[in-house]
Amino acid sequence: MVELEVDSLVTGYQEKKILKDISFEAKKGEFLGIIGPNGSGKSTLIRALTKVISPWNGSVKYDKKIIEKISRNEIAKKVSVVPQDTFINFPFTVQDVVLMGRSPYLGRFENPDKKDIKVAKEAMQVTNTLRFEDRSVRKLSGGELQRVVLARAFTQEPELLLLDEATSQLDIGHKKEVMDTLKEKNEKENLGIISVHHNLNLAARYCKKILLLDEGKKHAYGEPKEVLTNSHLRAVYGVEAEVHEHPKDGSLYVSPVDKKIDTEKGEETIHVVCGGGSTDTLLKNLVEKGYQVTTGVLNVMDSDLEKADFLDIEVVTEAPFSSITHESYKKNLELIEKANVVVVTDFPVGEGNIRNLEAVKEGVTTDTELILVDKGNIDKRDFTEGNRGTKLYNEIFRKKDIKKVDSTEEIKRLL
Amino acid sequence: MKDNTRNSIRKKPKSFFFILFFLLLIVIVYSATVGPVDIPFRKVLSIILSEAPIVGRWFPTYEGTDRTIIVNLRLPRILLGVIVGSSLAVSGTSMQGIFKNPLASPFILGVSAGGGMGAAVGIYIGISYYLLPLFAFVAALGTVILVFALGRVRGKTDIATLLLAGLAMNFLMSGLTNYIRYISPPEKEFHLRILAFMFGTLNGSIWREAIISLPIMLIGIGLVFAYSKDLNLFQIGEESAMQLGVEVERTKMIQLFTSSLLAATMVAFTGVIGFVGLMMPHAARLVVGPEHKKLIPTSALFGGIFLVICDTIARMLGEIPVGIVTVLLGSPFFIYLLVRNRGETGW
Repeated sequence: MVELEVDSLVTGYQEKKILKDISFEAKKGEFLGIIGPNGSGKSTLIRALTKVISPWNGSVKYDKKIIEKISRNEIAKKVSVVPQDTFINFPFTVQDVVLMGRSPYLGRFENPDKKDIKVAKEAMQVTNTLRFEDRSVRKLSGGELQRVVLARAFTQEPELLLLDEATSQLDIGHKKEVMDTLKEKNEKENLGIISVHHNLNLAARYCKKILLLDEGKKHAYGEPKEVLTNSHLRAVYGVEAEVHEHPKDGSLYVSPVDKKIDTEKGEETIHVVCGGGSTDTLLKNLVEKGYQVTTGVLNVMDSDLEKADFLDIEVVTEAPFSSITHESYKKNLELIEKANVVVVTDFPVGEGNIRNLEAVKEGVTTDTELILVDKGNIDKRDFTEGNRGTKLYNEIFRKKDIKKVDSTEEIKRLL
Repeated sequence: MKDNTRNSIRKKPKSFFFILFFLLLIVIVYSATVGPVDIPFRKVLSIILSEAPIVGRWFPTYEGTDRTIIVNLRLPRILLGVIVGSSLAVSGTSMQGIFKNPLASPFILGVSAGGGMGAAVGIYIGISYYLLPLFAFVAALGTVILVFALGRVRGKTDIATLLLAGLAMNFLMSGLTNYIRYISPPEKEFHLRILAFMFGTLNGSIWREAIISLPIMLIGIGLVFAYSKDLNLFQIGEESAMQLGVEVERTKMIQLFTSSLLAATMVAFTGVIGFVGLMMPHAARLVVGPEHKKLIPTSALFGGIFLVICDTIARMLGEIPVGIVTVLLGSPFFIYLLVRNRGETGW
């Protein structure tokens, strides 16, 4: 297993110095996250670790041997890389591309043998790409191609896997799938992983150690709870954020500080109960029309939360992938009670967020205007046990005089 | 082409190559029947077999004008056509591989024009026949290095800039060749030679040319083929290729050197024959896919067959230069590629 040592590394491109004195170590089987704002040197560090650019000063060592003394082919047998995106101009098949991962092991005129093909097939199995192995890579979606590239990286049978924002093009479900695969490989096969993350919460959730870069320098390095602190995030990203512990597994997550916005008297307040991207452009449209908008409860990493966060509206948040706690339930209820209008979008209802419907049931009064986005498919998006979601849904929306629309677009016309 | 046909070729490349090679032999023999004097297929075959090394002893030797026409006039021309076609096709495959772009080729990037200019200088100062490829090669290599340097924008090869740089070099090199023609002594033969150069022709080929260019073709194609694996890896990006163990800069240099050598040597003997290097890799890719271990030999065989057919057509049309035939076929093809790739990022 490979051990990485980076000592006082200085490097960059042509005249431009990017990394200024970086030192850290990654032991065998480490799961290290690299985070930092744009331009802090994350990708440059990955290049320096794979001999794409060489150190101006200081050193990169694998198993005590400096990188300049190791041939590219030797490095490729131990370290593989998944870049942010890949563009392939010619119609190679998925299997062709995955098999490229075997090339460090093959001679100039050697073809992949049975063993090589077996390794490739296993990697395609793990990354869920085997079913389209004969398809041309030109015909894949961005997310599919990225999983093919991951399969190629596994096919190299590395001891250390480097990922450069490799999941940034994927949707939340695939992000989690890929990260879970990596976690399993890390734990079961002791595969070392160093992953550059744009998303702090992915790093916080999966990485055992985190390196925080700022302007080419190491700002902090250590366990997530040592690195992800309010003061570090403020110093590097210039934002106020809250760091929480996940109630279930104790992992950390970061959420924007709860914004308390004073509502002026007479101003119309709209609370949106949503999730899973079901708001489409609704939040933005409402804010632009001058309404006071609130939303909740949303899990950290939910795409609706990202939109809310961007619009700077008041939102009740919850740990990623976890159920709504009593505390957030209460906060959400307060917002519902305060609102003149409550919009319920057609979000998927599961055990995790069914309490959002309970809050709607409890919180809306006869003065509240209730708008429901429904395409008549509640049974299809109800993932609760014993269809509790559907029952609750019918209870709420039967008894009251409500407005039903079949898309978020229509709400704009209603208000 | 149907997907399953392509898959069966991909899985059984050996029998496919055998069929292609057989096809090449038939085209060669057929081409030798065509000319001012029609010689039947059977007779051509017997003459060729009787002249062939080793097997020749089992066939009766022919004498007479037919033998002279076949052996001294048509065969060297046809064999040079095979050599030139294969070399240009592999040169194009190599260039499309390193530039990761289906629009690259020795003709488009001005390398052929550069080689032509070098050879014209050689003819003008009256150097020996054997040195012509060297002159062409030096000028072609200079051109490709310039085009490559001009086409790089902030460390990356920008294909639009690259094509424009190729166009500019095409103008410059053709202009210089024109100038040499203009200032050269007024003997008719001399002018015709440089003029034929600008059109590209196999007319008047002699055995000596085929014999000099054959080893260069073999070495060149061998060198490109030896880097098949690296050329495959280039296609997923230079950085990824590096991280998979490829010595990217060295590979690029060797490929630029080899593809220029292949194109320039051929230009030295036949002049600029355009578009073979552009079209053949495409045709081959359609049939065997983009994997270079199969793509390179297929391109080579396609190139040989194609150029001999074009030259046969040129002879049938009353001995026009073959370069005119390939340009007339190639330009619409290039336009088709441009239109098909229009608007797609990175082409």
